Amino acid sequence: MMYKMDSLSVIVNGISMGAIYGLIALGLTLIFGIMKIINFAHGALLMLSMMCSYWTWKYTGINPYLLIIMIAPVMFVIGYSTERFFIKPVLDAQKDVREPIAVLLLTAAFAIVLENLSLMLFGADYVMAKTTVTDATIAFGGVTLSAARFYALIIALVISGGFYLFLQYTELGRKLRSCGQDRNTASLMGIDVPKTFAIAFGIGTALLAVAAITLLPFYYVHPTVGNVFMTKAFIVVVLGGLGSVPGALLGGIIIGLIESIGAQYMTATLTTVIVYAIFLLILFIKPSGLFGSRLEW
Amino acid sequence: MDAVKTKKISLIVLFLVIGFIIPQFVTKPYYLHVITMCLLWAYLASSWNLFCGFAGQLSLGHGVFTAVGAYVAVMLFNDYNISPWIGMFAGAGAAVLLSILIGYPTFKLRGAYYALATVAIGSGVVVLIENTQALGPFRVGGAEGLIVKLMGNAPAFFQFMSKQPYYYIALVMLIIVVLFAFWLKNSRLGYYLSALKEDPEAAEALGINVRNAKLVAAAYSAFFTAIGGVYYAMLIRYLEPNAIAGPMMSNEMVFLAVVGGSGTVLGPVVGGITLHAISEVIQFYFGDLAQGLHLFIYGLIVVFMIMFKPQGIIEILQKYYNRFLGITDRGEDEKSVKRTAGS
Repeated sequence: MMYKMDSLSVIVNGISMGAIYGLIALGLTLIFGIMKIINFAHGALLMLSMMCSYWTWKYTGINPYLLIIMIAPVMFVIGYSTERFFIKPVLDAQKDVREPIAVLLLTAAFAIVLENLSLMLFGADYVMAKTTVTDATIAFGGVTLSAARFYALIIALVISGGFYLFLQYTELGRKLRSCGQDRNTASLMGIDVPKTFAIAFGIGTALLAVAAITLLPFYYVHPTVGNVFMTKAFIVVVLGGLGSVPGALLGGIIIGLIESIGAQYMTATLTTVIVYAIFLLILFIKPSGLFGSRLEW
Repeated sequence: MDAVKTKKISLIVLFLVIGFIIPQFVTKPYYLHVITMCLLWAYLASSWNLFCGFAGQLSLGHGVFTAVGAYVAVMLFNDYNISPWIGMFAGAGAAVLLSILIGYPTFKLRGAYYALATVAIGSGVVVLIENTQALGPFRVGGAEGLIVKLMGNAPAFFQFMSKQPYYYIALVMLIIVVLFAFWLKNSRLGYYLSALKEDPEAAEALGINVRNAKLVAAAYSAFFTAIGGVYYAMLIRYLEPNAIAGPMMSNEMVFLAVVGGSGTVLGPVVGGITLHAISEVIQFYFGDLAQGLHLFIYGLIVVFMIMFKPQGIIEILQKYYNRFLGITDRGEDEKSVKRTAGS
């Protein structure tokens, strides 16, 4: 009986962490699905959101979860302007190149800029928003879960679900998807493609703000925190299928489960290596991932 | 025509002379060390460029090859007393094998997917090294890293008391890789690579074995990168998994090559020397001002170079070079391009 409870907790913990991975991967998959760009600054932008939320919390003391309504719009503006002023010029210059790797490099360099900017502004300390949520636990049906992780799971599921509906059933969602399917045709249909791209990048960044806030009560923030999550987000996104929203969530949960179950039987290292191996295997066997299809977007 | 040739040769001689007499003027070990590091980064960026620049593949995992070269050579040296001069070829051989092993499945991946695969392989290798204490009879050292056994002044074992020999070795390595890049670009393989860079399907249709061409070029690139790793190990005398294999190592090579001008023979050299020198100067003068400032500026330079000069610094230099050779107007310029293309 005892063993069973433990294993159930392990699974629930894995799912909740996986849901956060999924939430982080959501922005990455959105940006890739629509703009066909892999955003190497994704981790750095996550770190920036966490830093902004942490310092706002520190000075105002507002409940971190309420900060979402403040930080998400700020991150949207940051993402939107990044696309407009940095990525768009390079994208335009590379219009005729089939695989625009310059944009990819640009985002990687941008990540260095952001990481060191926050190192300059906030220092290299590890900080965490310790609130009442941090040490609280929630117990139901024999499963004990930390409250922060439970809220994270709920928020991740609600946001992913809501985002999926938004893409499927709203005018803006249809515009976004049409640009992802064929930007030239979308342009012929009267859609302002550059503006839609900027919006997509903005939404992708705003989604990171949500992920950042769910992490804040139980995860340490420091200037390179993004790297940990970015590599995972890449793996999640390829596993689920680049460009697929349900794939991102499911891929995240699979990785979260592998990590938490793996941690019971082997060292964390071996789990990490296994995750990388699975990632490479998926790339070689089925690069479109579990859910990815060319017509998904 | 002859005047142009004389000018070209005199320019090459000038740079060689400058390269060889620098240690006579720069006597402070620290400054010479910084200049040596510039040459090493120019060398590493050129090695990356051999495959990734010429074939247009974005590998963000070349740190794997520096690590394999460095670890194999240092392990052979530490545990079996085999001179790194020999060990470096063992390391480079291991890197070549690894490049084929990695290349075989990854080269069918395109663009972004290939870049992602290299990121995953790079991160995986860092984790593996960090958690391996020993490999058979060899000590690997795990996350604490591996210290190179000290021999004092032992030229036969790649260890010198003064900085000068390191400088000259780096210079010779750089000259070799540039000559090799020049040969490669003008070889049959070089034409294959530039064809498949433009359009892999068309290259395939013309009868080029795309995968083989990539494998051979990647093997060359891995070989030179690994030798650079061995040199790095012997210069710093300490191997830290994240520094030798991690994203800093891998990404730096790419940034330097791209800022200089990837896909050209001299671009990565120019990029490696200028960008690394700028970064060192900023660190030296403003390092105390704020933590991370020099990397912040470094990142900004890369961002703006990609935005405004995607062909790299070499594009600017090319203009002055042409003016120096007396090729001023556009018509003349195009003629010279045709002439070189035809010959």
